[in-house]
Amino acid sequence: MIYGDKNTGILVQGATGKQGEFHIGLMNTYARQVGGKGVVAGVTPGKAGQQVHGVPVYNTVKDAMSEHGIGAAVIFVPAGAAADAIMEEAHAGIDTIVCITEHIPVQDTMKALAYAKMEGARVIGPNCPGLLSPGEVKMGIMPAGLFSHGNVGVISRSGTLTYEVVDELTRAGIGQSSVIGIGGDPVIGQTFVDVLELFENDSQTKAVVLIGEVGGNLEEEGAKATDLPIVSYIAGVSAPPDKRMGHAGAIVEGGEGDARSKIARLKKHGVPVASRVSEIPEMVRELFRCHC
Amino acid sequence: MKLREYEAKNVIREAKIPVPTGFLIRSAEELKPHLDALGDAFVLKAQVDVGGRGKAGGILMAGRADGVAIAQELFKKEIKGLPVKEILAEQRLAIQHEYYLSITVDRSSKQPLILFTEAGGVDIEITAKEHPEAIRKVIPNPLMRDIPPFMLRELLGTAPKEIGPVVSKLYRVFLEKDALLAEINPLVTTPEGVFAADAKIIVDDNALGRQGFTVNRDLSEREREAEKFGFSFVELDGAIGVIGNGAGLTMATLDLIEYYGGKAANFLDVGGGAESERVMHAVRLVASVPTVKVIVVNLLGGITKCDEVAKGIIAAGISQKVIVRLAGTNEAEGRRLLTEKNYEMLDTMDLVVKKAVQVTA
Repeated sequence: MIYGDKNTGILVQGATGKQGEFHIGLMNTYARQVGGKGVVAGVTPGKAGQQVHGVPVYNTVKDAMSEHGIGAAVIFVPAGAAADAIMEEAHAGIDTIVCITEHIPVQDTMKALAYAKMEGARVIGPNCPGLLSPGEVKMGIMPAGLFSHGNVGVISRSGTLTYEVVDELTRAGIGQSSVIGIGGDPVIGQTFVDVLELFENDSQTKAVVLIGEVGGNLEEEGAKATDLPIVSYIAGVSAPPDKRMGHAGAIVEGGEGDARSKIARLKKHGVPVASRVSEIPEMVRELFRCHC
Repeated sequence: MKLREYEAKNVIREAKIPVPTGFLIRSAEELKPHLDALGDAFVLKAQVDVGGRGKAGGILMAGRADGVAIAQELFKKEIKGLPVKEILAEQRLAIQHEYYLSITVDRSSKQPLILFTEAGGVDIEITAKEHPEAIRKVIPNPLMRDIPPFMLRELLGTAPKEIGPVVSKLYRVFLEKDALLAEINPLVTTPEGVFAADAKIIVDDNALGRQGFTVNRDLSEREREAEKFGFSFVELDGAIGVIGNGAGLTMATLDLIEYYGGKAANFLDVGGGAESERVMHAVRLVASVPTVKVIVVNLLGGITKCDEVAKGIIAAGISQKVIVRLAGTNEAEGRRLLTEKNYEMLDTMDLVVKKAVQVTA
């Protein structure tokens, strides 16, 4: 597993909001099931002293850090405050930051990521479902019921499409090491390259499913940079040019980032690409037949 | 959202980058008071929200004598189906050399990317392919409000020094206007100095509110209607309506339709945690697309509850056939509700899509 384990204490920024409260509940239900630490502190400015599902709330990340051992943070604050939340956490010394928030202006994201990099923090997202390592830890909003423990890593720019793939894998008896949603925005912190590098150094992970979509060329950059066996799926083969397909980053612009040329480049690097989600489990099995 | 040329030019002018003398007119009559300022030769450019307007007859040369008549003609035209309501009348420049300058968001470095080439004016994509070495680039740190001088030197090479301030000012525009793209092509030198002969600015859709825009003009009427409900919606031209939750899953559903030989009518992502009323609006919206014969609903419930979805589908009460795939939270109850009303339910996305393609074949 990567980015954290049972012993990672999690801080939730935006703890008293509707989303924050709901997901603190689900994250800690999961933590109890697997015997992990889960969410140990919440932060909402002006709400110090409150509790959310028994988790104490602080005004600032610094205050929370002085009372708890915190290894990662998950952000649920509104778009206008999310970049600031990333910077506050990076400045306080948290090194893994998951930003669930959608609709953050790109200029804000670029600044927050540049700042986080300066502080030595890695950011997953924004506009992502977070991550889940079955049997270890859940940081974010992924529905835990679909997952099973195993040795396939999953990296994706999407949310529900990832759940669909995980569901298919689990039904086929293929468990997962860590499932990471890196986010649907054009500018995101951890990209395929970063996550694949971590998977390469993770002894549990033997193969990776890489779920990409139209826009940019980060899927190909990732596939080029790793020796891990990969199966890929690219969404948006039927996406028209210059139209944003739900995600801010899912757009074919200036004739670049279309699904067909992405698929062609992945295949050129020797990566098998599924035409349908339902083909993925069999293709993963095929990988294991080749490499084990 | 893409700004119209005159809006982009206004932004550039406010940033103190020289632009040609120009006037926005809404009738041929409005041109008359500006004829002296425009001089003997000027250009009339239709301000329509569509690309390739030059080739479509939307840009015409004019002079003092025939200007009003030509403007009259242009106002009567349709450019790619759009009526001409506004024209930018602009002075013609005595161009000595054309350059290309653009600032975009670079996904790979996660920073702004500034591109400059002395081979401007022509199609930049062709230059990028045939002479990539002619395009110079720098990637400034977004935490700095100004580009450091060394980067400007790297970018400009032997190009005239007076272009430096234009780059610095355009970078400020890029940061302050929440641009995804700020481009001057061509940037021209003339005996009177440097000018932005054309300008293109795309504003981040996620920043329209703080930039003072109330509507996104890039969206169709139905797409705007969808935006009010918080749906991501794209209109296409097939017969199979699509409703999914999550952008990736909805895209994958569209792709599967193509895989099985059908054509999707739209992309609609209802978002997470949709309640019955939202689902009802989504179904009605898709049903209102004239080409839609059948609707595929493909929802994987995490936060989304299947019984809420079922109630929404039933409440919509539309005439077209709806084929449903629901999985996740409260699945059994959702299935019960829909089965009771004789809706067709199938277990996987492959099955619902195959069925929809059969129905429309």
